[in-house]
Amino acid sequence: MERVTAPAKAAAAESGTNDRTAAATPSQPALRPTSVAEVREIVRDAMSDKAPLRIVGRGTWLDAGRPVDAVRQVSLDALTGIVDYTPGDLTLTARAGTPLVEITRATAAHGQWLALVPWGGDAGSLGATAATATAGPVSGALGAPRDVVIGLEAVAGSGDVVRGGGRVVKNVAGFDLTRLMVGAWGTLGILTEVSVRLRGLPERETTLALAVPNAPGLLAELVTRLRSAAIAPLALEILSTRLATQLGLGESAVVIARIAGNADAVAAQQDALGAFGEVSEVAGEVWTAVRTADPIHGTVVRFSSPVARFPEMWRAADRLAAAGDGHAHASVVRSAARVVLPHNEGTPSDAALAILRGGGRDTRIFERLPAALWPVLAPSSVNDRLSQGVRAAFDPHRLLNPGILGETQA
Amino acid sequence: MTNPSDLADRLVEVVGPRGVLRRPGELVVFRSDGLPGYSKHPRLAVFPRTRDELISVVRLLAEQGVPFVPRGAGTGLSGGALADDVVLVGLNRLTRILSIDPVERLAVVEPGVVNVALTRAATPHGLHYAPDPSSQAACTIGGNIAENAGGPHCLKYGVTLNHVRAITAILPNGEIVRLGNAEGEADGYDLLGAFIGSEGCFGIALDITVRLSPNPQAIRTLLADFTSVDAAARATSEIIASGIVPAALEMMDGPTIRAVEASIYAAGYPVDAEAILLIELDGLEAGLEADVARIEAMCASAGARTVRVARDDTERARLWQGRKKAFGAMGRVSSHLVVQDAVIPRTRLPDLLAIIREIAERQRITVCNVFHAGDGNLHPNIGYDANNPDEQARVHAAMREIMAACVAAGGTITGEHGIGLDKLDYMSLIFSDESLAAMCRLREVFDPERRANPGKVVPVHSCREWHGAPRAAWSA
Repeated sequence: MERVTAPAKAAAAESGTNDRTAAATPSQPALRPTSVAEVREIVRDAMSDKAPLRIVGRGTWLDAGRPVDAVRQVSLDALTGIVDYTPGDLTLTARAGTPLVEITRATAAHGQWLALVPWGGDAGSLGATAATATAGPVSGALGAPRDVVIGLEAVAGSGDVVRGGGRVVKNVAGFDLTRLMVGAWGTLGILTEVSVRLRGLPERETTLALAVPNAPGLLAELVTRLRSAAIAPLALEILSTRLATQLGLGESAVVIARIAGNADAVAAQQDALGAFGEVSEVAGEVWTAVRTADPIHGTVVRFSSPVARFPEMWRAADRLAAAGDGHAHASVVRSAARVVLPHNEGTPSDAALAILRGGGRDTRIFERLPAALWPVLAPSSVNDRLSQGVRAAFDPHRLLNPGILGETQA
Repeated sequence: MTNPSDLADRLVEVVGPRGVLRRPGELVVFRSDGLPGYSKHPRLAVFPRTRDELISVVRLLAEQGVPFVPRGAGTGLSGGALADDVVLVGLNRLTRILSIDPVERLAVVEPGVVNVALTRAATPHGLHYAPDPSSQAACTIGGNIAENAGGPHCLKYGVTLNHVRAITAILPNGEIVRLGNAEGEADGYDLLGAFIGSEGCFGIALDITVRLSPNPQAIRTLLADFTSVDAAARATSEIIASGIVPAALEMMDGPTIRAVEASIYAAGYPVDAEAILLIELDGLEAGLEADVARIEAMCASAGARTVRVARDDTERARLWQGRKKAFGAMGRVSSHLVVQDAVIPRTRLPDLLAIIREIAERQRITVCNVFHAGDGNLHPNIGYDANNPDEQARVHAAMREIMAACVAAGGTITGEHGIGLDKLDYMSLIFSDESLAAMCRLREVFDPERRANPGKVVPVHSCREWHGAPRAAWSA
């Protein structure tokens, strides 16, 4: 698609064209609104033409979610810019299409950062990160999008411009439209503006890697000890052998820990981790590498489980990764894994498919999957009465990303 | 349609004779919550003792089409738990802690569990429940869910929303739903997030799965005193901008300090100060002293006379007791007290406090400030005599001006107390008609008949397809 610019593609390693969307939008260029008023016009036109919309942020993650049955594509890559940033308030408001890199740059100039750092890198937009509730390695320590987003503006499928929350860090005025829209994948409204809380950049930080024992019992012990150690890591991620190898961290699985704070705090945590055996310092760029390690085409599934079942869940994730010639990584803090299976066309390997079809005790959420497999492997989470009611309340004509959540028509 | 007396009899069948109050004399204490100035009479009150009784009560009310107001401990400060001629459903007998799992760091509780009782139960495991409203010795987790309650330590640890993993709720129509996922990542619409803070309008929580937080390895509590509110406000803005996230950063002004020191909650605050900051840092022992030193330096450069660090847990507890009981201590100053609640961007603290002072002088009222300075969450408290109509009118005028000033500064009309009944009129200051209508539609997904906590949160006239007051359903 011509809308996805070459640099944007290159910047986001997981980026790729989306054949399904391309097929659904024959020869029509994307609509590229530059104001909330234009977004509203687009939705009103869609209402009168009964023409559903495929909503796209900056087009860096187009094959996430289920196929969308849309006639027109709305791209928010021209609705950009930071609207309000007073560093002393540690809050920022930006238009939805603003790339995360722009926010990173603006806040770093004042010693601050937006602690979202989602999987996929920083080429994507703030709006899409909020809409898809995409978290990343620091979400266990610093919060997921639902915790970081403090307010938003959206154009609902009724054409109404609605606002939830505000620009201050604490706010309980009215029913919580913000939480409802974060993670709704655009199906309740096209996000046009998002407000977030920021944090001060730590004085110091370092990343340490420690080897993961192979024996299952030893992994369980390691995880238990890490959870009660005198450390407060920003991220604590276990990487499968293949991913560790790919990133040049050795030939076996590792845990990487992102340690931050003032000089004393960092030194003490380094010492605490030293008690776990051989620990080596790793360049901080490893985190960007992990976040952008997804292949252009493939299947991505997230596993999560109670903490007590982490070792079991990780083994299942690792086994799936191996069966599909892919890699896996997991947050020890959140007890949540991500399995990434590369495949150009078709489906994951038969061995991987067999595991996926087999199900399991853990919660599984799919990010990317070949179109035909969605109905087979990923039951929709929005077919209950309340979710259907919410959808009907905000998008009564099913114009916004219809199908992306696997919803059946009420 | 059943008349109230028949309904009471039916409810007695469910909860027993001691579980239903119907005589006006018995209902007197339920005419108000923590907010003075209102008096609303419930038609009757019902107090289920078990989950099954609660389910039966809600289903009976649904069957009869009767509106109701859920109520926890009644400590709310927005009139949210007032039942105006409808049924009050008291949840304060559902006080069981169903489980505490120290490995998962999760607890499952019934809605009537008192906030601090949960922390007490978690203490042997080295855990605590982080949201700590000032009323935590009395308020319930269910009420905290309804209001999305905050507290001093929410600055670092987040409000109620950030600590709830799942809720089993009964909707006003009697349907039982599970929101969130206690076993892993939640998928689909964040209905749990929508439910939390819905002020009892979306249903009643039957059980609540909350996160428990590990107790910090080390804590330092600092008391900095200033000769002007402005200097304390500037110190606050500077600390926040520095990027250090204190566990709590509270401010109290001179009148509040003196009220506390004259009360049984005397904490040893300097009575000649015009403002104090109570600042708590916690986390790993290593590095904490360096942060303490930076905060001390920032306070000093903003003009603090002294900064002292609590020597031990006893002194720390005493410093906090004064803060948390400040509202009670103000009872010495006046017969009635409005605890206001608004939030502003944190860089605007100095000028907003000056504006509030100016409004107070012009309206000839007494404002005491005791609030969560670190997140810009103001609590301007107005002491007055509710039996003096002229003073009451000036109090109301001042509150409206204060709210308008906070909104003009980019803030909001409530940070943790909710809209309830008290702030309905201010909703249009911050939300457009379209946003308010969207909130109405959301409410109707959970409660199409609008029987749960009728008339609260969103002004009735904002709802486009308003279909009359639900109370009509059971006029005797």
